[in-house]
Amino acid sequence: MTVQDAATLRARRQWPMPKQAVPGAPLLEVEDLSVRFRMPGGPSVKAVDGVSFRLEDGEAMGLAGESGCGKTTTALSLVRLLPANGRISSGSVRLFGIDLVPKTERQMARYRWREISMVFQGAMNALNPVKRVGDQIAEPIEIRLGQPRGAAQKRAAELLDLVGIPEKRASAYPHELSGGMRQRAMIAMALACDPALVIGDEPTTALDVMVQAQILALLERLRRDLGLSLMLITHDLSVIAETCDRVMIMYAGRVAEEGPVRRLFSAPRHPYTAKLLSSFPNIRADRRTLDTIPGSPPDLRKPPPGCRFAPRCAHAMPVCTEEAPTEVRFADGVRVACHLFPPGAQGVVASGVAASGIGGGLVRAAALPSAGGRP
Amino acid sequence: MTAAAVTSPPRRHRRLEAARDFAVRFSSRTDGVVGLAILLVFAILAIAPQLFVGPLETAVTATGSSLEAPSAAHLLGTDELGRDILNLTVHGARISMTIGFLATLITIALGAGIGIMSGYLGGKADALLMWLTDVFLVLPNFVLAIALAPILLDIIGAQAELFGIRATLLVIVVVIGVTSWATTARIIRSQVLSLKERMFVDRARVIGTGSGRIMRRHILPNVVNLIVAQSVLTFAYAVFTETSLSFIGLGDPFAPSWGEILAAAQSAGAPGLLAWWYIAAPAVSVVLVVVAFTLVGNALDDLLNPKSAVRR
Amino acid sequence: MSGRYLLQKLARAVLTIIVIVLLNFLLFRAMPGSPARIASHHPGVTQAAIDQLAARWGLDKPLIPDQLVAYVNATLTGDFGLSYQFRGEPVTEVIGDRFWPTMILIGLGELFAIIIGLALGAYAGWRRGSAVDRVGGGISLVLYSMPYFVIGMPLIIVFAAGLGWFPTSGMFDAGATYASGLDQLLDFAHHLVLPLTTVTLGLVGAYSILMRSAIMETRSEDYITTARAKGLTDGRVLRTHAFPNALLPMVTIIAIDLGYVVAGAITAEVVFNWPGIGTLTVDALQARDYPVLQGIFLLLSFTVVLANLVADLVYGFLDPRVRV
Ligand SMILES: Nc1ncnc2c1ncn2[C@@H]1O[C@H](COP(=O)(O)OP(=O)(O)OP(=O)(O)O)[C@@H](O)[C@H]1O
Ligand code: SF4
Ligand SMILES: [Mg+2]
Repeated sequence: MTVQDAATLRARRQWPMPKQAVPGAPLLEVEDLSVRFRMPGGPSVKAVDGVSFRLEDGEAMGLAGESGCGKTTTALSLVRLLPANGRISSGSVRLFGIDLVPKTERQMARYRWREISMVFQGAMNALNPVKRVGDQIAEPIEIRLGQPRGAAQKRAAELLDLVGIPEKRASAYPHELSGGMRQRAMIAMALACDPALVIGDEPTTALDVMVQAQILALLERLRRDLGLSLMLITHDLSVIAETCDRVMIMYAGRVAEEGPVRRLFSAPRHPYTAKLLSSFPNIRADRRTLDTIPGSPPDLRKPPPGCRFAPRCAHAMPVCTEEAPTEVRFADGVRVACHLFPPGAQGVVASGVAASGIGGGLVRAAALPSAGGRP
Repeated sequence: MTAAAVTSPPRRHRRLEAARDFAVRFSSRTDGVVGLAILLVFAILAIAPQLFVGPLETAVTATGSSLEAPSAAHLLGTDELGRDILNLTVHGARISMTIGFLATLITIALGAGIGIMSGYLGGKADALLMWLTDVFLVLPNFVLAIALAPILLDIIGAQAELFGIRATLLVIVVVIGVTSWATTARIIRSQVLSLKERMFVDRARVIGTGSGRIMRRHILPNVVNLIVAQSVLTFAYAVFTETSLSFIGLGDPFAPSWGEILAAAQSAGAPGLLAWWYIAAPAVSVVLVVVAFTLVGNALDDLLNPKSAVRR
Repeated sequence: MSGRYLLQKLARAVLTIIVIVLLNFLLFRAMPGSPARIASHHPGVTQAAIDQLAARWGLDKPLIPDQLVAYVNATLTGDFGLSYQFRGEPVTEVIGDRFWPTMILIGLGELFAIIIGLALGAYAGWRRGSAVDRVGGGISLVLYSMPYFVIGMPLIIVFAAGLGWFPTSGMFDAGATYASGLDQLLDFAHHLVLPLTTVTLGLVGAYSILMRSAIMETRSEDYITTARAKGLTDGRVLRTHAFPNALLPMVTIIAIDLGYVVAGAITAEVVFNWPGIGTLTVDALQARDYPVLQGIFLLLSFTVVLANLVADLVYGFLDPRVRV
């Protein structure tokens, strides 16, 4: 995505950009982010450790990895909404070039929802059960954008319409809506302030397959029409394949591999990505032959030295348990942190690591053009 | 649980370990430890009051004159009959704590019994028992106690003794027990409901164990934790209620519990006479004991109850 | 709130009242030796009076159905018999005189305690571990552990007998004549201050402790994260999102607690010699004035059941999810 595009996309937004925005800076640039959770009477949990990534205007990035690998924590630290015992221990989160990490709570409020909004997993719990849906959507418009109540209510109704809920349901309470409708309402709420970035943390997990597809189509459409950027956290790799431009795979609080969806899914380089892809069921694969990843993720209170995947990795070498691998970037835009790809050996793939046909099958099942050969 | 039952030594081992583990966790709760310390002090006073202050003073054996302020001879002053307040308060510990203990026994037996039956049996029995529980929750128990106490007293006669306990005290015990089991029943029931879903009950049922046996052998051991926590909280409530009942004249003047001393202070007009010492010691004792039981109970509840929620 | 919910709650209230009436019958009528018991306690009550009583309630007839029917009939028509103590006066009148002082005391006490307790508890729970939480929590626990009369007695020592700011007892100055209604009201208010403070303090502890844990429970809910993600100020999240949700369990708890409040008010009235139901209860207890006790039991139980019904309706109004 070019700077030109970014400018157009930014110009489409209704509300002024933050005053401190650095011209020409990318939408979001996360660098070396680390998050710790204090634990009573014990070592703290290093839930996120040195994560970096960048998100351009209008771009959609998928975030995947086993449960507990730090996806939600990463997302929450972008808006600094970590649980009370959590703290960003190092790194920066730059939005339009503005570092959000040192901001006070009061300053931070300016960026929440107006620039970055979120759609959580269970809208039943994420919506306030005793407030009308319309009021909950209108709330940020009224409070954050200073719109009069009437205008805010009107806008809320429009937003509901936009996500395919009849306007008159604005007076409904969350429990009166179906699961899919609630998730739509949640999306309408996320759009209330016309944000630059919407983060969806497993926004469709609780829904049945049909509704899931509808919600994803909706997100896709909104992204196109509104020029949104999207960060989509999900366990469903086919969803990422369908919806996202890029994907980031996390393992035990670190980035394993990141890059364009097609490249990464058709030719995974990191052994963990490969395992993840081959353990993912898809329409073609015979479920009985599905790979599982033996073992379980490490205890993040005392992660193993070196590569955190080493205890479970079939390709582990002596160096893996001693030194943490550094990230290398390939010409095709993929970034990998694995000793199989030492710095300087860019463009080289060790044989036998990449996924078998299943990764490709996944991409085909996801109706993407067949991926090219491996580099 | 069941796995450990096969061989006994490892089981005992495990129990010891669990107990030690629990002690460690409890000792990290400052509030619980403070509460426990306070309770220990009062428990020692209650077990052997005469060791500390000699035999209970009566109007005849009183050692001072009427309403003396605190002095070296009477550290906490005297009442209108010249009895030493310290003497009364320490003996009061024994009476108040005994009543509290017995009332708690009845409350918990009723509450746990009804809760377990209701939760385990389910269906009509559950509906009926829970309706009864609801009624008792709504009924103002103190008012019910007030109505019940004099009638019971008239029937058995205030001077009678049962199991060596004077009838008046016994009535208070029974009245508190009968009127305050409902909360416990509710809490235990909900725990039993979730236990019932667990596998081992099904297994026991399939083998053909009777309901009564399942309740005793499988359900009860698993709600014991909850019962312990609930007992401690009930004890606080029982001491509190005993004090109030005694205060309005349902106590036994010959067995001066703290409430009874305070009732005497009130009828002697101590507040108006600025005889603060007559009130201070028993009042502080009541508050300390209730606070201590509440602290210990809450700590236990947090540690033992899987879902300690908002409730009384 | 659906009609079904309403009906269900109404049915429960009616059933509870039936149980109370039956219980009342059992307690005061069916217990063994009633007339003899009365006579033994009331040398002043003549055999003729007892006979008259026996005839009135059909005590020579079988318990069920005759006595029960007579009793239920009388209760339904508001006939609770005559007081022993206030000779000849109907129980309804004896109680009626004492009803309003108690209602004012409890009503205002509840009002103040709810406002102060919920606010304090909400703040403490929201700012867990803050100075307000620690200090407020300690005070709340102590207040919660103090029987009302233990709160009231020191108040008298300090503010009435000691400083002389307020009268030690009663509802009006004895034998006072008033120039105007306002004067009388002021005198009443002057007498009310300490008893009302006692009742309020007695309640505040429990309410703030319970509200604190209710707020803490909502604090970890997802919709609170959503509200914070919306960039609302902390105070606003508390007021408009956490508080309304934490209020829901409180409505039920406050209603159930009413029974305890009544108990507390009885002892508070005794301390201040407040001429309400509480002092009447104690007098009736001492005199074993069973008809009056019986009337009080019915009245207070009815009131509490009614208040619970109101709480259920309020709950249905506050929580849109209620449809059971
Ligand atoms: N409040 C907390 N206190 C301590 N540890 C926490 C806390 N929240 C999360 N963690 C830990 O941090 C790690 C990352 O959690 P996170 O919720 O970000 O994972 P996730 O990738 O979103 O997982 P999932 O797919 O299950 O949602 C986990 O190991 C988790 O146990
Ligand atoms: S660094 Fe070593 S252990 Fe880690 S993924 Fe690569 S090969 Fe496996
Ligand atoms: Mg998550």
